[in-house]
Amino acid sequence: MDEQPVMVFKDVVKVYPLPSGDVTALDGVCFKVDRGEFISIMGPSGSGKSTLLNLMGCLDTPTSGDIYISGTRTVDMSDKELTELRRDRIGFIFQYFNLFPLLNIIENVTFPMMLKSQKAVDPEKARAMLRSVQLEDSLFTHTPTEVSGGQQQRVAIARALINDPDILLLDEPTGNLDSKTGAGIMELMSELNRKGTTIIMVTHDLNIAAYSKRTIRIADGRIVE
Amino acid sequence: MIFWEIAKRNIRIHLLRSSLAMLGIVIGVVAIASMGILGNSLVLTVSDSLKTVGDSVIVTPHVGGTMRGPPGGTGGPSSLSITEQNFQQIKRASAPNVAIPVLQTSDRMKLGVGSDEIVATIYGLNPDDVPDLLKLKEGAYSRGDSGVLVGSTFAKDNNVKVGSRIAIGTEGNKGTLRVTGIIEERGMAFDVSTDSAIIVTKDWFDQAYNRNDYDKVVVKVKNLDDLPAVKSAIENQMNKRDKIVDVVDTRKTMETIFSAFGQITTFVSAIGGISMLVAGVSILNIMMMSVTERIKEIGIMRSIGAQRKEVMSMFIYEALILGVVGSLIGGTMSLLGGYAISSVLLQTTKYLFVPSSMIHIIYGMSFGIVISLICGIYPAWRAANLNPIDALRHE
Repeated sequence: MDEQPVMVFKDVVKVYPLPSGDVTALDGVCFKVDRGEFISIMGPSGSGKSTLLNLMGCLDTPTSGDIYISGTRTVDMSDKELTELRRDRIGFIFQYFNLFPLLNIIENVTFPMMLKSQKAVDPEKARAMLRSVQLEDSLFTHTPTEVSGGQQQRVAIARALINDPDILLLDEPTGNLDSKTGAGIMELMSELNRKGTTIIMVTHDLNIAAYSKRTIRIADGRIVE
Repeated sequence: MIFWEIAKRNIRIHLLRSSLAMLGIVIGVVAIASMGILGNSLVLTVSDSLKTVGDSVIVTPHVGGTMRGPPGGTGGPSSLSITEQNFQQIKRASAPNVAIPVLQTSDRMKLGVGSDEIVATIYGLNPDDVPDLLKLKEGAYSRGDSGVLVGSTFAKDNNVKVGSRIAIGTEGNKGTLRVTGIIEERGMAFDVSTDSAIIVTKDWFDQAYNRNDYDKVVVKVKNLDDLPAVKSAIENQMNKRDKIVDVVDTRKTMETIFSAFGQITTFVSAIGGISMLVAGVSILNIMMMSVTERIKEIGIMRSIGAQRKEVMSMFIYEALILGVVGSLIGGTMSLLGGYAISSVLLQTTKYLFVPSSMIHIIYGMSFGIVISLICGIYPAWRAANLNPIDALRHE
């Protein structure tokens, strides 16, 4: 079994230089995430949750400190290398689903596969993935706008999982869904975690955070517990 | 590739604005290609008209010069001519090429009993020189002084056939000649424009018009590369002290004419090019709109692993599709437009489907595609370099 943590933050500082003065969004953040964990990151608005998510997702780089994803130090990576890391190791699930309206559901799910393989791909894996997130076959050729919010989020989950990432990053995954649909999505996430998927979820909803096994609370750019 | 597919679909869902952008390219291509085709067709038309005389050096008396006029002449410019002595000098200077002395005048003539008198140009040529200068469509070259050759247009307009008789001069006072042959159409010419003229023998001309001197000398140069040398030799021989003859290298003159046509074609094509630039700005505009509308989509793509160059390619493909489709439509319309313009202005389309005309369609289409690509580069670059975090936050 691979004992290496899937994510390590060491004294990570993120400062945004602004004309009115520097703003420290994260101040010496340290934590690690082991494989198979299901972690919630909670905190009030402006606490640094989004900055933390951006750094975890390799969308941004820290001002100082080190970040390791599956043992790979990301701080000195080029934009191209960070993009490849996002494509191959990280799955994103957003509050507003963020599917591509020009592509149908199967194409949305195969999109990251095509980015990885740089050629046309067999959609069978995407179909299997969509079935595993309990989406009906009859919806596969529909466009995202033709299905419900819950179904869109299931498509987004399938898209995030299609390249077998090491980590799933969730940004308020139920924030745009009614409570029943949201609960269904979280049940699905719990099931994925039981099967071994590492999940890190940013939320401010305690009921949603209850699905996770560990909570990291953040306030004023510092981890408070 | 998925980015190609996305580019196609984006054009399809914004069909109206994409079509308008393409329309600009279509107009630009049509403007460039049609103007080019028209210019080239004009050049070819003139070229065809002049091609029979592109191998000559024409020697004429220098207007304002001191050359001796014909006996009894007034000495003014209109009385200038080339003497037999001058001709012999020209002949020696241009040897071994053939020097043909030409006499020319206009006179009344009547074709058959009861017909109206007409006025036409009459050339006087030595019968031995005629085959070197003119080709016959039908009949035979005149050997005796009673024969006459007629131009093809002259024959057609006046219903003249081989064997017809032409009474020259007022009430035929110069004599009546029998048509022995009809000359092939030659078009506009620097040496002798025979299409609407008649050709009589030199002896008959001398006798009828009391002329011993010549109006011009045509030197037919066998090797075209010798044209400048022949021209120089004649000038050196004849204009040693004073300029007494003007010597024209017809090929040089044709080159000057074609160069002028080429410049006109380039100028009108450049005007077409301006419309293409305007079309390019239109493409730039809709591509910028496309980027602005899709900032969030770009953010999502980048966040799930699309490289900058891949995002860039998506917008480049979009510009390329607009350019290629617009150029293809424009190229087709140019062909139709060129056909219509050639039919109306030149009365012929035979110069349309030739490589030198078709190349203008290729130029127009290539310019359309290149302009579209250039105008797509900046929006594509801008899209590719968006900060993924800012793009994801964009509403």
